[in-house]
Amino acid sequence: MSHDRRVLMSLPPSLRTSVTPTELELIASQQLIEIIPLIAMEKTAFISGAYGPLRPPHRAKIPIWMAVNLKLKKKCHIIAPHWLNVEFLQARLNEETTETGFSRLPFRFSEISKVLLDVASDDIPDAEKIRSVLKDLCEARQAKSREGLANLDQGEFSLPNFCSMEINEVRPFFVQSMAILQQLYRESGET
Amino acid sequence: MDNDYFSIDAILAENQKFQCTFKQEIPDMGHLGGGSERDIQVQSKRQIPIWLAYTIIYSDWADFDIPAAFGPKVRNALKAEPRSVRLANLVGAGGSWYGFGKTTMDILSDEQAQVLSEMLTTTFKGRLIEVIDQAQHFAALGPVGASGNTGDSSQAFREGLDATERDLFTLAQESSKKMKRWYEETEKSKR
Repeated sequence: MSHDRRVLMSLPPSLRTSVTPTELELIASQQLIEIIPLIAMEKTAFISGAYGPLRPPHRAKIPIWMAVNLKLKKKCHIIAPHWLNVEFLQARLNEETTETGFSRLPFRFSEISKVLLDVASDDIPDAEKIRSVLKDLCEARQAKSREGLANLDQGEFSLPNFCSMEINEVRPFFVQSMAILQQLYRESGET
Repeated sequence: MDNDYFSIDAILAENQKFQCTFKQEIPDMGHLGGGSERDIQVQSKRQIPIWLAYTIIYSDWADFDIPAAFGPKVRNALKAEPRSVRLANLVGAGGSWYGFGKTTMDILSDEQAQVLSEMLTTTFKGRLIEVIDQAQHFAALGPVGASGNTGDSSQAFREGLDATERDLFTLAQESSKKMKRWYEETEKSKR
C-alpha cells in the first residue's frame, strides 16, 4: 500500500474521492468577473496576479473573491456574466427538458451563480426569476444523472457537459458503485 | 470485496460459512462441526468457515454446495423483483451479500461463476437507483424528518440493504447533505 493511499484512508469515505462544495466555490472564485467600482484603487499586485486600476465609473475585471469582498463593503457593483440571465438559462432549461444530453453550461455555473446571487442579487436583473430557473435546471439535470446511474457498468462512464458541482456530488458513489461492479463482473471465458 | 490484504471489507466478507461434503475421512477433526464424533466421516456435511474452506476445497478433500443465499429460491426471487429481496437477511447482520457472492464466485467453476456473476451484477444494478434515491431523499429530509414514514416497502428495502449497499447509501446521503448545506449557507450568515 502506497503512502498516498494510507493518507487517503485516514479521511472519511466521502472525502476520499471528492472535495467539498465550499472548496469548489473557492476554486471557482478565482475566475474573473466585471465590476463597476465605486472606489478608486491603483493597480495592485496579488499572488494570483495584478488587478486594477479601479477608476469609477469604468469597468474593471477582477477575481470573483475580490468582487465579493468589495461588494459586501458596498464598494462595487457586480456585472452578471453573460450567461446569468433569464433568457439564456430559460433557453438551456428548454433544451434540457426536450433533448436527451446535458445542455452546455459554464463548467462552474453552480458555484458562480450561487455566490453572485447570494451577495449581489441587487445587481442582477430578475434575480428571483433566475433562482427559480436555475433550480428547475438543476432538477432536470439531476434526473438525467439518475438515468446515467441506471446505465452504469464496470468499464467506462461518460456524461458530457456534466458540471463541476454535479460531478462532485455524484463522484463518491459513482466511483464506489463502479468499483463494486468491477469486482462482481466476470468476463465470459475468463479463467 | 477486493482481495487487498489490508481491506477490512475483504476480511468481513470471509465471515461466512460453506456447507462442505467431505470426500475423505479426516481423523480427529470431528470437533470442527461442533459434533461429538471424533473423526469426520466420508459423506458427512459440515459448515466450514471460508478461510478454512479454501484449503479443504482446493485440496479436494470436500465438495461444497452453493450457499443458500445464492440458491435457486433466492435467484427466482431476484429475477422477479431485485428490490423486494432482503439481502441483509441472507448473510446475517452486517454481512455483505455481494462480498460473499464474490468469494463464492472465485471458488466456483467457470460456468457456475459466470451465472453467479450475472446474478450479482443484475441485482446490484437493479437495486442501485433505489438505494441512491432513498439516500438522497433522506438527506433532503434532514435530521428531523429522518424517521418520517415513506411507506412500508421503502422501509423494508432499507432494512434489507446489505453492508455494501449500506456504505453506498451513506456515501450518497453525505454527499447530498453537504450540497444541501452549501446551497443553504449565505455569505451573510458566514460573517
